[in-house]
Amino acid sequence: MKTNYHSPQQFFRQRRLRLFTVLVILLGIYFTSMALVNFQTWNSITKIPAGLIWLFHNFIPTERSISSLGQILYQLWRTLLVSISSTVVASLFSLVFAILGAKTTTPNEAVRLIVRFGASLLRNIPVVAWAMILLFSFKQSDFTGFLALFFMTLGYLTRAFTETIEDLDAEKLQALQAVGANYFQCVFCGILPEAASTMTSWVLYMIENNLRDATLVGLLTGTGVGFLFDFYFKSFRYDAAGLIVLLIAVLVIVLELTSTQIRRAIA
Amino acid sequence: MLKVIQLDKTYGSDKHSLQSVDFTAQPGEVTAIIGPSGAGKTTILRSINQLIRDDSGQILLDDQDIRQANKAELRKIRHHIGMIFQNYNLISPLTALENVLHGRLGAKSTIAGMLGLYSDAEKTEALELLKEVGLQDYAYQRCDQLSGGQQQRVGIARALMQHPKMILCDEPIASLDPKSTKIVMDILRQLAREKQLIILINLHQVDIAMEYADHVVGINSGKIVFTGPTSDVDDTVLQNIYRQTDTSESVVSANEN
Repeated sequence: MKTNYHSPQQFFRQRRLRLFTVLVILLGIYFTSMALVNFQTWNSITKIPAGLIWLFHNFIPTERSISSLGQILYQLWRTLLVSISSTVVASLFSLVFAILGAKTTTPNEAVRLIVRFGASLLRNIPVVAWAMILLFSFKQSDFTGFLALFFMTLGYLTRAFTETIEDLDAEKLQALQAVGANYFQCVFCGILPEAASTMTSWVLYMIENNLRDATLVGLLTGTGVGFLFDFYFKSFRYDAAGLIVLLIAVLVIVLELTSTQIRRAIA
Repeated sequence: MLKVIQLDKTYGSDKHSLQSVDFTAQPGEVTAIIGPSGAGKTTILRSINQLIRDDSGQILLDDQDIRQANKAELRKIRHHIGMIFQNYNLISPLTALENVLHGRLGAKSTIAGMLGLYSDAEKTEALELLKEVGLQDYAYQRCDQLSGGQQQRVGIARALMQHPKMILCDEPIASLDPKSTKIVMDILRQLAREKQLIILINLHQVDIAMEYADHVVGINSGKIVFTGPTSDVDDTVLQNIYRQTDTSESVVSANEN
């Protein structure tokens, strides 16, 4: 990397040139890929208004949809419970794995690598793939959905918790060691209190995330609000399907607002 | 009494961090270790409670060699050596009271320590110690809401909770303003006098060392170049302690390259 410039003018000229090059490359990638998949930008854009009108015309909930409201809310409730329970259970396991897998707290290097690899494997299999694999063993049930979310969340939170622990100031742990605290005391009296609020944020984020994913998983496992959406959609009850989408959006927003409040309270 | 004898520490193959370090520190006295940055002040301090494992030598606290202790013995020894730090190193979301109680961890069973099961006597004592450092009104405040000087005083209370024979202070005032510096240093000197503790302090402020220390250990490039009472420290001694060594690159020569 060249660090010496003859003049500030030259420095800024080179910086502008670099930005411009990046922009040209990005545009190049866009047009090349559009050409390769035969995507006609202008045609697609002009179709958007008509598509939106059709959507609004068909998917706006009507009086008829209200009759399904009870059933929808019931399934939405169940879906919410599955996403919360899978996240909570996964976060307990993740906590143990994260302590085993974090550089600062791992008992030995082999354990750390196994945890790292395992978590990465769990995380990188999409939740839909998890659901389809688990369908073979556990059939169409709430439990299949629970497990699919559980595995994905386990991988995700283990990674997040590991990094949270590694980001903590190692000196603070040294201070506890200097007092004469042993390994478990350091973890419980030092690491957990220091990491608690960041970890709680992660758990709340995963609950939001899992509610969205649970809907998708429900399509495959034939449970919850996802299944109901599929059912209405396939029987041309677009108004009821639209109501479900609307209610999911409302629930996600409510969940987000609540978790923001909780995060603020514990920060 | 703390006796450090022929303490050696090598990083890598040839870089000596400490070379035959010899000194003693007496109960009831403030002993200051001074020297330029990178001279090995922190390494000495952290070798004493074995946060850094040294290579060879002896560290005798009341005639017991800390270096020979096994894991369980080391825990017992550490329990009686308090330590305070430049960055205080308190568990910040916890209250001042809880942080002071951490001073008991070395004496508690694993489970009791993990779950924070402290006796009533311990809780009363922790509050008493906070009173001693002038923080009784802050006992139930989270430590990250306290000022630097207040946090350092919580650190001192945590050390006192250990019923220490000695307190190691690693640049305790480097992040503090003059007023907090005075409060903290006054407390440390008072502890040496009243409780007959060994107070060992790393300092890079010579004026503070001259004002508060009874005994000075001067170190340069990992070697002791002076030990003696503070009254013996004069300009010649200070120049010797803070002299540029041949191996260290000076700022001027670095710029010329």
